[in-house]
Amino acid sequence: MTWQPELDELKLRLELARQLGGSEGIARQRKRGKLTVTERIDMLADAGSARPFGRLRGSGEYDESGVLKDFVPAGKLEGFCSINGRKIVYSAHDFTVRGGSSDGAHGQLGQEPGAAVRALEWRLPFVRLIDAAGGTVRSFEKIGRTYLPDANPFTQNDVRLLSAVPVVSAVLGAAAGAEALQTSLSHWNVMVEGVSQVFPGGPPVVAAALGVQIAKEDLGGPQVHVGRSGVVDNLAATEADAIDQCKRFLSYLPSSVYELPPRCEQDARTPDSTGLLSLVPRNPRQPYSAHELIRSLVDCDSFFEIAPRYGTARVTGLARVDGYPVGVMANNPRALGGATDVAAGEKAQRLIALCDTFHLPLIDLVDEPGLMVGLESEHQGIERAAARLICATIDSRMPWLTVVVRRLYGVGGQAHQRPSGMYRRYAWPSANWGSMHISGGVAAAYRREIEASDNPEEAMREIEERLRNLSSPFRTAEATGQDIIDPRDTRDAMVEFVQDAQRVLGLQLGPPPVPYRP
Amino acid sequence: MTTIESDVPGMVWKVSVEVGATVEEGTLLVIVESMKMEVPITSSHAGTVTKVCVAEGDAVSTGQPLVEVDGAAK
Repeated sequence: MTWQPELDELKLRLELARQLGGSEGIARQRKRGKLTVTERIDMLADAGSARPFGRLRGSGEYDESGVLKDFVPAGKLEGFCSINGRKIVYSAHDFTVRGGSSDGAHGQLGQEPGAAVRALEWRLPFVRLIDAAGGTVRSFEKIGRTYLPDANPFTQNDVRLLSAVPVVSAVLGAAAGAEALQTSLSHWNVMVEGVSQVFPGGPPVVAAALGVQIAKEDLGGPQVHVGRSGVVDNLAATEADAIDQCKRFLSYLPSSVYELPPRCEQDARTPDSTGLLSLVPRNPRQPYSAHELIRSLVDCDSFFEIAPRYGTARVTGLARVDGYPVGVMANNPRALGGATDVAAGEKAQRLIALCDTFHLPLIDLVDEPGLMVGLESEHQGIERAAARLICATIDSRMPWLTVVVRRLYGVGGQAHQRPSGMYRRYAWPSANWGSMHISGGVAAAYRREIEASDNPEEAMREIEERLRNLSSPFRTAEATGQDIIDPRDTRDAMVEFVQDAQRVLGLQLGPPPVPYRP
Repeated sequence: MTTIESDVPGMVWKVSVEVGATVEEGTLLVIVESMKMEVPITSSHAGTVTKVCVAEGDAVSTGQPLVEVDGAAK
């Protein structure tokens, strides 16, 4: 007498679970142009590395004698897998099962912990593949009552994860309700053109609440969230592209805050820096390409841009220098003259927090005219945004290298100096700086002399000329010791800084002193 | 057919091509001005200009179409 019958039932249940929500549900998924959850996990995981858990959770159908007839698995697949040889935890919705909507957690004793807890306790990166329809009022009928929306006992794990391990969310369908929140409880996220939407309440809810008819793509599609709101960082052309971007993003980060980021020595090719001496135009009205600047300094093909369509006045992303992962940000003189508006400041603040949490040195390539001025910027609350950016700057500990490529002015300029810890600043010969710009500043400060003169315009020009003669960076360096370098030597200086930084980073392992806030 | 969009917000300062013009990859199409910067927008493809979507003085936003170019893809 053995336990073979029970093993046969186990095999049967796992086999039925592999059929997901059934062939009809799968056909509907394909018709929507979406992949199944098994296909997504196969794309995410190194071949053969997927180790699902909780696969027996679901709903069984039994005949009169209590024998299993059919089994529908729960609408979420969770487990461990490796990506490029590194272990992670995944949590993926199966939309073929009841549209991926949750039946409401009933809190029975003995429930197996979910993927978020596993990731937290195993100290592994957490990947969400989101494709769900959100909650449904059908569950009220099913359980014969309503329930309090007490998701926080579960969501507190998602919050703790943010200060423990890298968390990425790929929106591969709808992310409504709780899943909309989870989209933002991440360090980085991505959505797919034509497939994904994010909103706490979809078109029916909007119609009921506001009397407004709006299609789901218009309400929460990429043109809203990638370009306008910045709620989603990156856009993917396909689901495969989205999953690929997840893998790329994770490759720059350690598995948890307790480790250093992994170095990739073999691919560390030195970029061509010879163009840097002429990159910055002598004409101050002409911009240069911030992307070309970055590409000329970091390891070849190593730059991964974060949020390229949001806050375009600042370019932010991850890269490698001599194989070591770094954060990189650069003012983009093509957009708003490179000024720091609320969106650009937010991108910078998030990159600072990411680097501090996961122990990446920050490379800051500066051409900063200052905070964005004007009524629209005021309406957006530029002052509080600047306060948050400055707090992030001052609270950060990771090694920070600033290179002043052109301008450095005002409060916006202030945010590029980290006054404590391992901080170094170089300037290029093209650099100029001040608390205020000369033009604009002269009209204010010398108003009396200008108005008293016979030719006010001429007087203003003369004063501006006088001040410009004082603005050579070498004059400042006489007093402060500021290092000014040949732009073509920046790469070598950067490599040495990043190598030196490893020793300091090694002393900063562990959770950040300031919890990571999305 | 390729639509060249503005990658930045600003104001159209100069339109350098007209319908029918032959362009190469990198040819200057429009200069957008923002915060005293003259931002050159160049063509990503060789071909012929079939439509100019903006005029000097127009405000533009990121992603807004500027010029349409018809020609073989790169």
